Amino acid sequence: MSRLEAKKPPLFISEPLTKDTVCQSLLLLSRIFKSSYGPAGRLKQLHNGVGGCVCTTSQSSALLRHLSVSSPVLRVLTASVQNHVSRCSDCGLFTAILCCSLIENFRSLNVAPCTVIKITKNLLSLCTDYLKSEACGCRVSVDFSSVETLVCLVRSVLTSKPACMLNKTEVEHLTTLVLKAFLFTVPCHVETNAVLGKCVIIPVKGRRVMDSTVLPGLLIETPEIQLGKPLAVKRTGSSMIKIALFCASMSGDSFSPEEGTIAVRHGTSLEMSELNQLLNVGKQLVHDGVGLVVCQKVIHPALKQYLKENHVMAVDRAGLSLMEPLSRMTGSKPVASIHSLSPGCYGSLKDVSIERVASKHFVHLIPGDTVICSLILCNRSETAWDELKRVCETAEHVLQLTMKEPLALLGGGCTETHLASYIRYKSSSLSTSTFQDLGCSQTQYQLVADGFCRSLESVARSLNHDGGEILTDMVYGHCWFVPSGLPSVSNWSDVVSKCGCGINGNTEDLSWRILEGQSCSPVIQGCPKEPSVKVTDFLTLDCFAAKCSGLQVALETANLVLDLSYVIEDQN
Amino acid sequence: MFPLLAWPVPSQPAAATARSGGAQRAVPRRTRCCPLPMAFRDVNARRHIGLQQLSSLASAGRAFLGPMKSHKFIVDESTNQSTLICSAVRLIESLDLTSAAGQLLNETIQVQNKEFKTGMSTLLFLVGAWSSAVVECLQQNVPVSAIVSVMSEGLNSCCERVQCLQISIHDVKKELCSSRVRPNAFECKACQVGCDSLLNPRGLLYFQKCISEPEVISISCCSHQGDDCHFNKGLVSPLVGFGSAASLVKPEGDRSSSVIPGSDVIASSCIKQKLTHSRHFSTLGKSHFSGQQGNFQEYLLKPSADPCECSDLGHLAMALSHGNQTGVKLLQSIVEYQQERAECRGSSQLNITEVVTCSLLGLPESYSCVSQGFVTLVSPEQAKVIKHFKDKSLWILLVDGDLTEQYRHLGFNRPHNVRTILEHPNLEGGRAGDTWLSRMLDILVSFEVNLVLVKGSVCKNLLDRCTASRILVIGPVPRDVLCAFGEVTGAQPVTYLSQLNPSCAGNGAQAELWEASDGRAMDLGELVPVRIDVRGIPLLTAVLTTAVASKVQLLEDQFWTSLYRLHHALKDGKVFPGGGAVELLCLSHIQVLTEQPVRPAKAGKEFPSPWLATPVAEYKSLVLQALASGWKRYLSVVMCNMAKAPSELEARALVDHHLKKAVDCGSPSAYILELFRRGDVLGGGFGPFADHGEGLKVYDNVAAKTEAWRRALDLVLLVLQTDAEIITGPKRNELLNSPVSSEFMFL
Repeated sequence: MSRLEAKKPPLFISEPLTKDTVCQSLLLLSRIFKSSYGPAGRLKQLHNGVGGCVCTTSQSSALLRHLSVSSPVLRVLTASVQNHVSRCSDCGLFTAILCCSLIENFRSLNVAPCTVIKITKNLLSLCTDYLKSEACGCRVSVDFSSVETLVCLVRSVLTSKPACMLNKTEVEHLTTLVLKAFLFTVPCHVETNAVLGKCVIIPVKGRRVMDSTVLPGLLIETPEIQLGKPLAVKRTGSSMIKIALFCASMSGDSFSPEEGTIAVRHGTSLEMSELNQLLNVGKQLVHDGVGLVVCQKVIHPALKQYLKENHVMAVDRAGLSLMEPLSRMTGSKPVASIHSLSPGCYGSLKDVSIERVASKHFVHLIPGDTVICSLILCNRSETAWDELKRVCETAEHVLQLTMKEPLALLGGGCTETHLASYIRYKSSSLSTSTFQDLGCSQTQYQLVADGFCRSLESVARSLNHDGGEILTDMVYGHCWFVPSGLPSVSNWSDVVSKCGCGINGNTEDLSWRILEGQSCSPVIQGCPKEPSVKVTDFLTLDCFAAKCSGLQVALETANLVLDLSYVIEDQN
Repeated sequence: MFPLLAWPVPSQPAAATARSGGAQRAVPRRTRCCPLPMAFRDVNARRHIGLQQLSSLASAGRAFLGPMKSHKFIVDESTNQSTLICSAVRLIESLDLTSAAGQLLNETIQVQNKEFKTGMSTLLFLVGAWSSAVVECLQQNVPVSAIVSVMSEGLNSCCERVQCLQISIHDVKKELCSSRVRPNAFECKACQVGCDSLLNPRGLLYFQKCISEPEVISISCCSHQGDDCHFNKGLVSPLVGFGSAASLVKPEGDRSSSVIPGSDVIASSCIKQKLTHSRHFSTLGKSHFSGQQGNFQEYLLKPSADPCECSDLGHLAMALSHGNQTGVKLLQSIVEYQQERAECRGSSQLNITEVVTCSLLGLPESYSCVSQGFVTLVSPEQAKVIKHFKDKSLWILLVDGDLTEQYRHLGFNRPHNVRTILEHPNLEGGRAGDTWLSRMLDILVSFEVNLVLVKGSVCKNLLDRCTASRILVIGPVPRDVLCAFGEVTGAQPVTYLSQLNPSCAGNGAQAELWEASDGRAMDLGELVPVRIDVRGIPLLTAVLTTAVASKVQLLEDQFWTSLYRLHHALKDGKVFPGGGAVELLCLSHIQVLTEQPVRPAKAGKEFPSPWLATPVAEYKSLVLQALASGWKRYLSVVMCNMAKAPSELEARALVDHHLKKAVDCGSPSAYILELFRRGDVLGGGFGPFADHGEGLKVYDNVAAKTEAWRRALDLVLLVLQTDAEIITGPKRNELLNSPVSSEFMFL
């Protein structure tokens, strides 16, 4: 007998942001993000505490996937950062830190949330307008006719995660590979709607990073290939190899119904009849002159044997992720059922060879002209490999986003400080009509704008993890770093060398001042300038699209969180 | 003395240290999320728990460093079973490593083992040495980023610097051949020494003591270093005469050999002298027993007696083995066989996939040898079948899966809802299993198969029925063995017997009982060793014999280590001079680096990010000293383990002395190479052969060594840069309700 329990009433929490536990969790979350930020960021060991694998990372995507946040307020935050990361890959920590910092700063202001929201929306539009305008002093345009800026972009992504454990040579090597892989995916002959190809990452763990390489075409791991035997593959008249692609299982078990029961007479073997059907497919393939059969799943050993005897190469267990690029590369249509094989399904391939990487053997499918390539990625340890894979994917994605919008933002904290000084300058020179439109006083506007600028600067300050000082200059509004342990000096120009992004050197007196978190910073006279010399190599650059999106997501999420007045929790 | 490790480890020393750190309540470090910011900066400044865990775990492995290793017993307290180990891999395998740092350490060691099978002890030791050196840096308030950048750049620079010490294999071969010892003069001496030491009652007594009452305390380590070394030296010394002497006096791996009565050893060595060579390696052009052409009886591959005629690679194997004698003789045979074949194939590398091992328990170690083909153990019933096969050319079948009725190929999903309806029950028909058995047997009989090699397991009933029908079924057999047989016999591996067609079976296999070199009958109780061979097969089996059960794993490990060392030396095409030469050059190079001024960041093409900028000079020299201390401790512990120095302190002074001399002479690399040429890098010799002065050099693998360094440093730096543990899953709730929950923060 079942017992009915009365429903519990929902829990009603008003003003969740004023609650102590929520504040502490927010502080903790913000600390996790801030301590992980940048090339000198600290790593987090994610594990289950009972001997599961250890993930060492400082990446927002990995952190957020493992963090289980109990407070619904914070879940809003983590969800929107995760959403941003899934769209842009890059600037996840930037978004998260900025968002936490905005919430902290605005909460302590004595301004009604709705006013704050109106003002921040205005600030956001100031920022985006500035970033999108030609006059923007913190962006560089990306020239796709040379590799320099692209190299800078990729290198900045690769060096931003210390858990990859790369040294300088390795960074340079991988930068070249990632760029090469990206260029493979750009179609040579552009038609009306050009589509970028795909780079498939092949894992080889436990090897030197320098063993990594990029190959055009696809690699499928095969344990059974015997080395030393020449590959004899049947070719068509035009010396191409005819290929058939199966996404259906060919292991001979497809008679098993999903539900319901099959009754068979004793002595009838479903397995045998299924195998016979498979062998008939094999006969058809041989008859059609197919030279290579690739199956996503398993091929029955008897069918394999039959194909081999008829000089047809069979490769199975290609995996789901390879099917789309395989089909695209060879022009073949994946056969979804062994009964629906038709000559129209076949594709073609230029060549097949065997590649040996470390202790693994791969069948290398070489197409004639392709936008598909494979990046064989090696790293010494499992945990560093996982981090490196995520970083390479991010770099690839950043290049794709940059192709759509050929701009990049100065990295190393310079965009943040530059934008902050721009907003400080701009907000001090707004007309009174703006305040009337927003329905706020100038003081309120100044307070919110200052909170916004401090939040931006706190992102730049989060790059520093080892003591030392963070400076900003009064000319370009860039971010400068003074390492700790230096004897105290009277003049900052004695100790600074280059700004965070590397574009400005210590050549003129830029009247540096310490970037502090609390006090209101002095407003610079006039708009922060754009650096006069535009060096293009060895800059730290950030993805334009990702950072703009991050800025927007952070502000909107902060607004949403600030605006929360009730949390209603279902307790059943 | 070593820290005591318990198994299974309820509170291992690492955890204990960690807890004692936490007990002072300064550092609530292991957190659900992350500690207070000030608190965790404190962790980094004073005592980084991850690094402490690493150094305390690593300290257990220092006895495995260098050519003179001490064995350890790992005792499982719950079952009272103990295991004898002598390598870092086995040590790490036996420890319960649930801490995150411990797990990363385990992963690192396993990866090194998988690729190189050597360098794991070096790796483990350096992890420990570098973590404690880094902790010292933290205590002097050196920022983490400075430690990371200076250490990794310092190691890179050292790895580049030591490249000048690399010696190409070609030069090594020349060197080894020319510095060969005069055989005659040595023969007597070596023999004398060998007999002396083997018969030495003190040695015998000592060993008995060693096995009867080892210092077993939870996990004990037989680290009686002083005595140990004398003992080992005595045993190892006969090998000095390698080549000629080696065939006279058996090189005995180590102390267990003294279990065998001395007379036995000498007897066997005399026999050996008479036995000479197999037909494959007859240096005289014909061997004593090669009367019957193409017979398969003299399958025991013997190393040539004269080192000049034996391959140069044999010497190289010797020089790389660092006194690990077990494999050297076997290696020599393998190398010769593969070289002979390589002349046809045109590749000079050692093919590891063409070698398998078979461990025989119950014979003295002197019976270890390399046999052509595949040696494995079968039941006495099957052995009878083999007697029947004598000299017959067999039809062979290779099965690429299990040989059971239930077995289906990988990826086949068993149907759950198929019901079979029996319309006309036939009471006479046997059970379903019987029909499968007889069907399989019918297939085998109809194709006249004599021998089936199965990759997976074999159904017991089928095995018995086959044996009764004089079909030999052997499984499980490694994949490489199947491939080798497939290649020479033309047999095609099948997954099911029903796939069989005439082209699948191969012909030309021979099977016979394996015999020891002196024809000694094999009585190993339940199982009988047999040898399966095909003319021209590339496959070799290293038969490792031992009378001590606990040494089986040990010998196998040692054999593979030696084989991989040679393999990688050939693959790299070069080796490092051994005996501490490389480490000494690193130390001198670090002195040079310390004196270099800190490069101004503005100059030249540099990384843009000032966040990774070169740190101030004061930190740089501190961190470089930390890097150097790793190698310095390495050298001094090796010297201590070899009893070249009475204490680590004195060893360190010795290292400093040599370092000073190397630096003073202007060109440290030339100085070190000269020392190495004289066979005397760190004074008083450094190899296991040191007692016999010049001539016998030791070499190290290039890639294995530098990779071990890099992996060790990577691990230390990875842990160093970690500031928090995030524990997910059910353990989180457990922690929430546990008394230590105050050390954690919960989101």
